Amino acid sequence: MTEPDADLTKTYDAVIVGSGAAGGMAAHVLTSHGLQVLLLEAGKKLPIEQELRSMEWPYDNAHRGYLPPESHSLTFNEYTIRNPPYGAGLEKAQHLRSYVGSSDYVKNIVVDERENPYTGTNYAWVRARCLGGKTNIWGRLALRLSDYDFKAKTRDGFGENWPISYGDIAPYYDKVDLYLGIMGVKENLPHLPDGIFQRPQKLNCAEVTLKQGLQKMGRVLTQYRAGVTSEGLKHNKYRSRCYGRGACERKGGCDIHAAFDSPTGLIYPAMDTANLSLRTNAVVREVTIDPQTGQASGVRFIDSQTMKDYTVRAKVVVLAASTLESARLLLVSKSRLHPNGLANSSGQVGHNFCEHLMGPGVTGRAKDLVGKASTLDDGRPGGFYLARFRNLSEKQAKFIRGYGFEGGSGCSMFPSGTDVHGFGASFKEEVRKNQGAYISMGAFGEVLARYENYVDLDPVAKDKWGIPALRFHYKFGDNEHRMAEDMKETAQEMFEAAGFEIVHVRSRVLTEGWSIHELGTARMGNDPKTSVLNQFQQSHDVKNLFVVDGSAFVNASCQNPTWTIMALCWRSCDYLADELRKGNL
Amino acid sequence: MSSNDPIDLRQDRREWLKISAGALGASLLPLPAVSGEQPQAATPPTKPAASSAQNKPTGRFFTPAQHALVEELSETIIPADSHSGGAKAAKVADYIDQFLGETYDDNQKVLWLEGLRLVDLMSRHYHQKSFADSGPEERSALLQVLSDNDHMTDLPEVRFFIELKRLTVRGYYTSKIGIHDELEYKGNRILEEYVGCDEQGSSS
Repeated sequence: MTEPDADLTKTYDAVIVGSGAAGGMAAHVLTSHGLQVLLLEAGKKLPIEQELRSMEWPYDNAHRGYLPPESHSLTFNEYTIRNPPYGAGLEKAQHLRSYVGSSDYVKNIVVDERENPYTGTNYAWVRARCLGGKTNIWGRLALRLSDYDFKAKTRDGFGENWPISYGDIAPYYDKVDLYLGIMGVKENLPHLPDGIFQRPQKLNCAEVTLKQGLQKMGRVLTQYRAGVTSEGLKHNKYRSRCYGRGACERKGGCDIHAAFDSPTGLIYPAMDTANLSLRTNAVVREVTIDPQTGQASGVRFIDSQTMKDYTVRAKVVVLAASTLESARLLLVSKSRLHPNGLANSSGQVGHNFCEHLMGPGVTGRAKDLVGKASTLDDGRPGGFYLARFRNLSEKQAKFIRGYGFEGGSGCSMFPSGTDVHGFGASFKEEVRKNQGAYISMGAFGEVLARYENYVDLDPVAKDKWGIPALRFHYKFGDNEHRMAEDMKETAQEMFEAAGFEIVHVRSRVLTEGWSIHELGTARMGNDPKTSVLNQFQQSHDVKNLFVVDGSAFVNASCQNPTWTIMALCWRSCDYLADELRKGNL
Repeated sequence: MSSNDPIDLRQDRREWLKISAGALGASLLPLPAVSGEQPQAATPPTKPAASSAQNKPTGRFFTPAQHALVEELSETIIPADSHSGGAKAAKVADYIDQFLGETYDDNQKVLWLEGLRLVDLMSRHYHQKSFADSGPEERSALLQVLSDNDHMTDLPEVRFFIELKRLTVRGYYTSKIGIHDELEYKGNRILEEYVGCDEQGSSS
């Protein structure tokens, strides 16, 4: 793999900002079309295998796998009781991390909160600045959206339809499946389309019991559709197939890259085309504009190590910095020609911000598994996914849209059930005997894309590099809270139907942002007055500007977004390359 | 004292707090620089561990006497049994010692010092001897009082018990004894095929 240095004297065909799922995919597709591409990443290139150490035993780790105690990761209570910026009052901690940063394997992947402050309403904003971004630590659930999502407005009248339908994106989902690998089982559900699956993992006994219990209710539990290759990928020499090793539920990534991550899945192969240059530690502060044409001319960035400013020119600018960071970049890129921020003649940039609500769920116990010998369950990338069942053929009175559940069961390296009351010999025995009997699931629900949920720039606060900080104006609404109530009830009802003893029903809604599925801040649409991007994630206002990450989503659906981000990006970059060849950009 | 009788912790503690800390507790367990029943609400002390900073390896927090007491307390939380070793064998006290030595959180350091002192005062009140001199049943009975009242989180000894259990659980189940002997964990090795469930349908 050659890694050519960025040549800042030349004009690239495209400069991509961000190296996560979207940026990596853009690099892959554009270089495969023969374009000369520069990829900029704000964070470091980490020696990632040394960070992840997927098979390290806790007792061989200086802090048993937890964040070193001189650092601090934010807790639910702190996110709830305090207000952003969350660094205030926690100055004594050497580093301050988001809640995901509570693991020693993640501490260098997520940002230091104090260097990257934000203000406004409470929000658990998880950011990873390093090559590959959040794909280094993602949860790997790789789901498709359907026309129940793309055409949701037609069904219930709320919001806007997407400017595409499932038929437009299905071939690109197929490409992503084949290029990156996905495990799963076909279920023929119209609202959760099947992919081109590699060999799936199996369910364990409690999960099978739940599946059978749900069948009577007409609900579908399927094996966790993991963006993990179980059979290997002949075209990719950087990734191994899954060996079911390691404790997959541990917070951290996969050091043999059986689980998809952007560097090994997309960026390194793109470098092998010799069409890709990469510059890390490049914090982009602005998209530059040609004052004559109003078109994008490139980007200006700061080297985070030397604090020096640089400019790079490109025919096309591709933002892939994440939903909130891309919106922030558009908003800071103000100019005489674009006084409200770039690509923002509609006034929609930062608005329609949406995501998935988390929190409600249930833990149960399969009594027939109590006291059984320990089994190996946690080498799987995940347990199960329980597909959406609300507002499909029936209509709920209390809320629109739907939710699904992620869950799992079985033994794990650190046992479930240590939060039971008591101590002593009986406590120890109870933990041991029940370790394989617990089954648990938590809901992911659609948060409606509403104009009044938005981010803008804080007039005062800036990050370490002097870039204005984001200010949040974002709260879950009535539909979300009514949905959360239903999640809790159905979770309990389904576990009871399966015959599990209910251990704990969770009703608490986690802080906004907890799902790390933020979406929608530069939505697509056919009408330039009400949308930021067209169906190819191309700015209505600035033709040579594309925003290929989750900000383009029109609604959040309830399915995890990563696979859709990559399928959309592939489609848009095919279009981009074609337009560039035709001289339209 | 029997663990079957409900103990009114709030009423009892007035009595056992009367035992002079200067005469008994402090000789074994030095008071933190800032005392008081709610150290979390107090201004964080400058260096709570300063009084015991001498004669300790760096990164360590407890005095030898405190370390010995934490060993016995953690063993009471997770004891050795016929199946596997307990917290003492798993060196949980060493883990907690290192954790407290490294944390930036002075409130937590204060809570531990205060908690160790209060547990010993309780022991002297209920059993007329220190926790270290108590037998296993007496030790369990004492922690049972705190466990039974673990909703009274305004009391530092209750918060201490919760922290003691939390860090003992973490230290134990991340130790070799906890993972391999106690839980007989099967994972973290290459696995060709996940066994799954026999009743699996034909889908896989």
